Amino acid sequence: MIALFSSELKKFRTIWSTWLLLGITALLVGAFTTLVAFVPRGHGPRASLLPVRGTALWFDSTFSIMRLSLDLALVLGILCITGEYRHKTITPTYLAEPKRGRVVVSKLLASILGGAAVGVVGGAVALVFGFSVVGAGFGNVQTMLTEYRHIFPGVLAAAVLYAVYGVGLGALLKNQVVAIVVGLGVTAIVEPIIDGVWPSVGQWLPGQAAQALESVTANVKAFGASNGQLIAWWQGGLALLGYGIVLAGAGAFTTLRSDVT
Amino acid sequence: MVAVDNLSFVVEPGTVTGFLGPNGAGKTTTLRMMLGLVAPSSGSALVNGVAYHDLPDPTRAVGGVLEASGFHPARTARNHLRVVATVSGIENRRVDEVLDLVGLGGDGDRKVGGFSLGMRQRLEFARALLGDPQVLILDEPANGLDPQGIAWMRGFLRWYASQGRVVLVSSHLLSEAAQTVDRVIILAGGRLVADGPLHELLQGATTSVRVRTPDADRLVRALEDVVAAGPGDDVPTAVRREAPDVVVAEGTTPEVVGPLIARHGIVVYEMTSSGESLEQIFFELTEGAERGVRPMGQPPALQAPFSGGPEGGPVP
Repeated sequence: MIALFSSELKKFRTIWSTWLLLGITALLVGAFTTLVAFVPRGHGPRASLLPVRGTALWFDSTFSIMRLSLDLALVLGILCITGEYRHKTITPTYLAEPKRGRVVVSKLLASILGGAAVGVVGGAVALVFGFSVVGAGFGNVQTMLTEYRHIFPGVLAAAVLYAVYGVGLGALLKNQVVAIVVGLGVTAIVEPIIDGVWPSVGQWLPGQAAQALESVTANVKAFGASNGQLIAWWQGGLALLGYGIVLAGAGAFTTLRSDVT
Repeated sequence: MVAVDNLSFVVEPGTVTGFLGPNGAGKTTTLRMMLGLVAPSSGSALVNGVAYHDLPDPTRAVGGVLEASGFHPARTARNHLRVVATVSGIENRRVDEVLDLVGLGGDGDRKVGGFSLGMRQRLEFARALLGDPQVLILDEPANGLDPQGIAWMRGFLRWYASQGRVVLVSSHLLSEAAQTVDRVIILAGGRLVADGPLHELLQGATTSVRVRTPDADRLVRALEDVVAAGPGDDVPTAVRREAPDVVVAEGTTPEVVGPLIARHGIVVYEMTSSGESLEQIFFELTEGAERGVRPMGQPPALQAPFSGGPEGGPVP
C-alpha cells in the first residue's frame, strides 16, 4: 500500500500538468489578491463599503482570495484519476495493481498531499503579498499575521479535502471534461441556487461545507457567508471528506469495475 | 455481444505459444481477461493456478505487453517505468536495464509523446520485463517494429522460452508467427479451432510435388494412372501441367513420386516438394468457424478441449 501510494505521488511529480496547476494557483491567487486589495475606492457611498487599506478587515478580505486554490485542488484530484483513463495509463496501473479498490484508496491518500501542495502554494503567495503590502506601508506585521492565521489553516484543510472530493468525483464520472465541468459547476452554479431556495440543504454542499471548515479559525463575518448560515466547522470537514469517500466508493463499485479495453 | 465463447486452453512453459486468429476473433479480449482487465461472464484465467487479480506481486509474475496500452505523453520513458516499478519495489537500476535491453537506453529522458509507434512498443515491452516475470503475455508485439526490431523480438522470445518460461504471443502475421512459435492456438469467431504443436499442424497438411522433366507427357500419364487407381496414403489426388516441362502432383510426397519416376525411367532435372504453409492451414481452419461451422478435415492431433472459460497456463 505504501509502495502504491508512492507510485501515485511519482505520477503527480512526473507530469507537467501538476506543476502547471500549482503555477496557475500562484498566478490566480497573486493576481486576484492584488486586484481585490487595491480595487479603486472611488468616491461616494460605495467607498465606505470597502475596508480601509491596512486594517484587519482589509487583510481578511484580501487573504480570503486564497480560497481560489480550492477549485484548483479539486481539479488536481479529478486529474489524478481521470487523466489515467484519458491517456490509458490505467492499463499499466491495473496491471501492476489489479485490485482496483486499492488503486483508488492510494489515489485518495496521494490527493491529500496534492491538495495540501495547492493550498500551501496559494497560502505562500498570500503571505508574500502580506509582507509586501506591510513593507509598502499598509498596516503592520502584527495585524497582518493575525488575520493570515485566521484564514490560512482553514483554507489549507479545505483544499486537502477538495482534492479528495475531486478524486471521488473523477472515480465516479471517469471522463475528465465531464468531471471538471460538474465539479466546478456544482460550486459555482448549482450550489448558490440550492442555497437560495433551500438553505438547510445548501449549507451541506461542498462550497458551504468548505466555508464552514474555514470558520474553524476565520472570522466568519469577514468572509460574508452567504446567508450567515453555516454548519459547524467539523461538520463541514466531515461533509467534504464524506463526499470524497462516498463518491470514490461508488466509483469503485460502478464505473471503475468496467472492462479496460 | 459474445467476444469469446467456451474457450479453454493451457499454455506450457518452455515454449513460445502463438495465439492466432483473424481480426475480431477475440484474441485481445482473451489476453485482457488473462490479465484481469476484462471480466469474463463465466470461467477463469489462471496463472500458476492463481487468478491475476490474486497474484501477490503481478509485475514479477506476469508481463503483459498490450496494444493501446497508455503512456502519458508528458512523462519521460524512464519515469513511466519508474511509476510502475515503484509499485513492486523494483529498483531504478532495473529500469535502466530494461531500457537498454529494448534499445531505448539513450531515450530514457525523452517524453513519450515524441516517440514513434515502434519506440512506444519497445517501451511497453520494457515495462512488461521490469519484474523479470515467469510468464510473458504479448498482444501483437510486432506492431510498429522495424525489421531489426522484429528479428530481435523473435530471438528474445525464443531465448525467454528456452529458460523454461511461458511465452504466449498473439499475432495476425502468420509468416512471422511461423518463424517464432512452437505451439499454436488458433481462434476464430471467439472459438478454439486448433491447439497443438506447430509441426503437428503442418504435418497433417497436404503437400505437393513439382517435377521438371523433358518427359512431361510420360510422367503425367504415369501419375494419372496412379490417381485413377484410387485414393490411399500419399497417393496423388490430382496432376497438372504447370509449364510444358513442369508437372505438379497434388496431395503426395517425393517418397511416392520418386520411385514412380525410377520405375518408368524418366529423366528428371529437378524435383521439389512444398507443404501447405501455416497461412493456408489457417485459412482452412478459420473459414469454417467464421461461418459458424466446424472446420472440416481437422487433423486428429489437434483436437481441442472445449470446456469452461479461458484459462491461463500453469507454470511448474
